[in-house]
Amino acid sequence: MTDAAGATPPVATEAGAAAPAAERGPGEAHRHHVHAAVGETKVHVQGLNFWYGDFNALTDITVDIKSRAVTAFIGPSGCGKSTFLRCMNRMNDLIPGTRVEGTMLLDGADIYGPGVDPVDLRRRVGMIFQQPNPFPQSIYDNVAYGPRLQGLKRKADLDAIVEESLRRANLWKEVKDILGRGGLTLSGGQQQRLCIARVLAVQPEVLLMDEPCSAIDPTSVQKIEDLMAEIKDEVTIVIVTHNMQQAARVSDFTAFFLQEVAGEPAVLVEYGRTSEIFTSPSDKRTEDYITGRFG
Amino acid sequence: MREQFNKELADLHAEVVDIVAAVGTATRKSVTSLINGDVDLASEVIVGDDEIDARCVGVEERVLETIATQFPVARDLRLLQSLTFIAMHLERMADLAVNIAKATKRTAGRRGPQTLYDLIQAQGNLVYRVLDATGAALAERDLELACKLPELDEPIDHLYKQFFRELARLQEEEDIEWASSMVLASRYLERIADNAVDIGERIAYLITGERDWSAEAVKAE
Repeated sequence: MTDAAGATPPVATEAGAAAPAAERGPGEAHRHHVHAAVGETKVHVQGLNFWYGDFNALTDITVDIKSRAVTAFIGPSGCGKSTFLRCMNRMNDLIPGTRVEGTMLLDGADIYGPGVDPVDLRRRVGMIFQQPNPFPQSIYDNVAYGPRLQGLKRKADLDAIVEESLRRANLWKEVKDILGRGGLTLSGGQQQRLCIARVLAVQPEVLLMDEPCSAIDPTSVQKIEDLMAEIKDEVTIVIVTHNMQQAARVSDFTAFFLQEVAGEPAVLVEYGRTSEIFTSPSDKRTEDYITGRFG
Repeated sequence: MREQFNKELADLHAEVVDIVAAVGTATRKSVTSLINGDVDLASEVIVGDDEIDARCVGVEERVLETIATQFPVARDLRLLQSLTFIAMHLERMADLAVNIAKATKRTAGRRGPQTLYDLIQAQGNLVYRVLDATGAALAERDLELACKLPELDEPIDHLYKQFFRELARLQEEEDIEWASSMVLASRYLERIADNAVDIGERIAYLITGERDWSAEAVKAE
């Protein structure tokens, strides 16, 4: 990938760099970064506060997002889980009047450090939204968009990336004969998987998913849950979901956010292994929420 | 919230508490029948076992249905899982009471030394105490009481060992079939109490969500 050249020092690490496309042989078109080992911290957050203008939305969030695992954020509407998710690739920077305090490190480097290029950060920390948002282009061009932007030109390389990305997104079988067709002609669930393929094509280290399954058909939900399990060995996944069964099914770790009083900041109530959170949560508020006796 | 679900959990919990009481009654009747040589009372225990079995199966079926339709988690999941576990144990305990009742039938019309009857009665009284405490611990979700069950069980084991010592003193002319039936009855009582101790451990898990909760932990609190 050519991203190493564009990476700004505070975030760029050895792990984030890969050989430029020009130096790769045809068989090496799509190699994944060597990430931190399983269980190591990918994103370290310490004492994080977030403001929308005067409103302190999140307060004193401390959590370590584990590498090569799926972490689910759960909590009632308005508890700040999506806000926190968007802090991780600085999507909130686009909203005027927002402010972040505290520490948020990606592989030990400050995400909010001086000189960090948010565009490069978002390549490393990709995002999937609730509503699928493919470009009004062909299926192929949607997936090839990122790699082309990074300077990849050889058709064979692009073909390989497009195929592998679509395979990893569990969409290849459905679209392999219609790659020239417009992305927007696909069903909603297929469009969402196309968006996932588009993100995977630029080899993100972290994939943020903000309620990715709440607007799509059950078959596609299943395919997305399957692909999450398949790619988590290579990509650290953080998912916000309102569906607690989904959180229990797909995640290794669960974080429960809660805004106890309207107007007051939300807090991270509990974070731990999903198997423990869903059998023996240690905080009564978590227990009340996941057993449906709250909110 | 989840009113129907809450009601079903409460109903299932109450049903299992009630089965504990039924097992207690069956145990009392079986011991009384053995000591008095009351064959009719023994038959009552044997016939009544079908109902206890059916109730235990009923609990399991309702638990499965609730898991399938309600997606319980956390304390709800622990409750449902524990109730199945406890029902399975209760079914076995009722079978042990039946075995004692069968000993009554085998030994009908024969009498042995009073010492052994006294020992069985003493052991039975201790077992009733364990069963009553088990029922109360489950009904009230009483962690302290649940953790006390091993302590209550201990003298039962001692009496079981004493039973063997008394047996060794028996003269050769004593009825061996009678004696072995009494030994088995003592063994069944010991097993009933042991199952109750297992239930106590599960009640502690149900309450705390932790597996290694022990009497020591209660004292430390």
